[in-house]
Amino acid sequence: MKRGGVIWSWIWTILGILYFFLPLLATFMFSLRAKLGVLSFKAYENVFIDPQFITSFSASFIWAIFTIIVGVLIFVPTAYWVRLRVPQFRAPVEFITLLPFVIPAIVYVFGLVRTYSQPPLLIVDSPALLVAGYAVLSMPYMYRAVDTGLRSIDVQTLTEAAQSLGASWGTVLFRIILPNIRIAILSGAFLSFAIVMGEYVLAQYLAKPAFAPYLSLLIQNKAYEPAALSVLSFALTWACLGIIQIVGRGQQGQFAGGH
Amino acid sequence: MAYLTLSNVSKQFADSYAVQDFNLDVDKGEFVSFLGPSGCGKTTTLRMIAGFEIPTDGKITLGGRDITNDPPNQRNVGMVFQAYALFPNMTVTQNIGFGLRVRKEKESDVKDRVKEMINLISLEKHANKYPYQLSGGQQQRVSLARALAIRPNVLLLDEPLSALDAKIRVSLRAEIRAIQKRLGITAVFVTHDQEEALSISDRIVVMYEGKVEQVGTPFEIYNFPKTQFVANFVGSLNTAVAEITDPEKGLLSMDGVQFIAAEKMDGLKKGDKVRIAIRPERFSFASEQKKANVVDCTIENITFLGSVVRIQVLIGNTKFNMDTFNNPFLELPKIGDKTQVTFSRQAVLILSPA
Repeated sequence: MKRGGVIWSWIWTILGILYFFLPLLATFMFSLRAKLGVLSFKAYENVFIDPQFITSFSASFIWAIFTIIVGVLIFVPTAYWVRLRVPQFRAPVEFITLLPFVIPAIVYVFGLVRTYSQPPLLIVDSPALLVAGYAVLSMPYMYRAVDTGLRSIDVQTLTEAAQSLGASWGTVLFRIILPNIRIAILSGAFLSFAIVMGEYVLAQYLAKPAFAPYLSLLIQNKAYEPAALSVLSFALTWACLGIIQIVGRGQQGQFAGGH
Repeated sequence: MAYLTLSNVSKQFADSYAVQDFNLDVDKGEFVSFLGPSGCGKTTTLRMIAGFEIPTDGKITLGGRDITNDPPNQRNVGMVFQAYALFPNMTVTQNIGFGLRVRKEKESDVKDRVKEMINLISLEKHANKYPYQLSGGQQQRVSLARALAIRPNVLLLDEPLSALDAKIRVSLRAEIRAIQKRLGITAVFVTHDQEEALSISDRIVVMYEGKVEQVGTPFEIYNFPKTQFVANFVGSLNTAVAEITDPEKGLLSMDGVQFIAAEKMDGLKKGDKVRIAIRPERFSFASEQKKANVVDCTIENITFLGSVVRIQVLIGNTKFNMDTFNNPFLELPKIGDKTQVTFSRQAVLILSPA
């Protein structure tokens, strides 16, 4: 690359970093100014001693765990079956998995409320509806992560090899397919976790305790604590992405060399 | 009674038949190869035996039991795949023991059997390695051991050597054959490589466009091909059109060159044109050894192929290839030389009316 090109690359990189990190740095600095005249973690302290924070955070955490379980149970067998038996349906299924990107969450939540607030399925108050809603919202991430994992192994041959050795469908799925795509599932799981922890619309309109509505409420009433919570949210998301990277790195060689 | 029987087996995909009216009896302990070009239905037939495809018509029995519609995991067949298909998350030991553990065999029995199989394939030093840490040949040996560990009723091998380099391919096919003989297991081997099929099999099933062309021992298939496809596909072959001049005596004429064939010419009469075939190695120079047919020829081309030298000769107006073994004292003619070649009457195969 020419010297001029290298310089421009660096300029754009630095501009990009500034664009993304300056607001975050400003938020972080602001969150440290809860005490007049000194920099402190007072705002963070206030957040952690607030019982509502514990309630909303742990609620979102639980919703996220259930969402991941539901997502894995639905999308792993679906992606596996589509790849193995009905590859002609891959395009329509992929299109369906992308719908949460094009249908606004507010439209979706009103659809849920309208459909499930009347008999025969009066479950609008049930946490199950919230988890189901989250599972749909995280579908693009979970499905595509799993599908990418399945693409890295020879699904059909491994399935047939296991079957010829006497394995049932359950054994094939749980002892052969799942262990070989666990990194992909972990990626999908952490992305789903991050989505649920930051999701506002569904929890707000289904009136369930969650982290994002709590953050919104805090913004309306306090100054420094919302900034502290925003920084914590970013840290949580980055921690999830970091874990995906760390766990994924150890497995790459194994699968690349396995074929 | 045959151990593995395929009776009138057909498989249809959409509008076309991948396999049509396939019949075969395989004896216990026999090694049978399905040989044919890509798309001839050999793998589909193997997959029907394995249970991965269900026949559209026909019946498959194994050890007297009708397995036509049984799912693959209830057939007790061992399968070795072209792509090895070792489970990447398991070590060599775990891969080999997988089928036994699925069958819930006693852990001590599993360990003994796995050890026995690892010894059989001589991979003792690699027992705790993962597939990605092994070479292609080693992976395929593990795949073979895994398939054999479950004591299958029949061993199915789907082009297991295709992904390997030439030297490994030759040594592994000898190893497969030796293990199959030692264990006395019935085996069905799919390949498009004629040399592989000829060297390893008790019998060969030559397939073309979903149908069986010929079933026979390697010797029969090579020396007495029954159809033009078999003659062309197995080994090198010179073909030409000749006219029958005396069907009683087996006399033929090609571009005015007279020669004699041993094959019966039932139903053919003088003046009929037939397609004849002669294998390159059936020719020799007339000076070396005189056979029933001695014909004039011109040397057209000479190609050195290592152990064999291929000489192209013009007999009448038709070019024939002649193979002769290479040796350091071989005296070869020059291109353009006029000489004589000889071949036996049995060397002339009459394939079909031209």
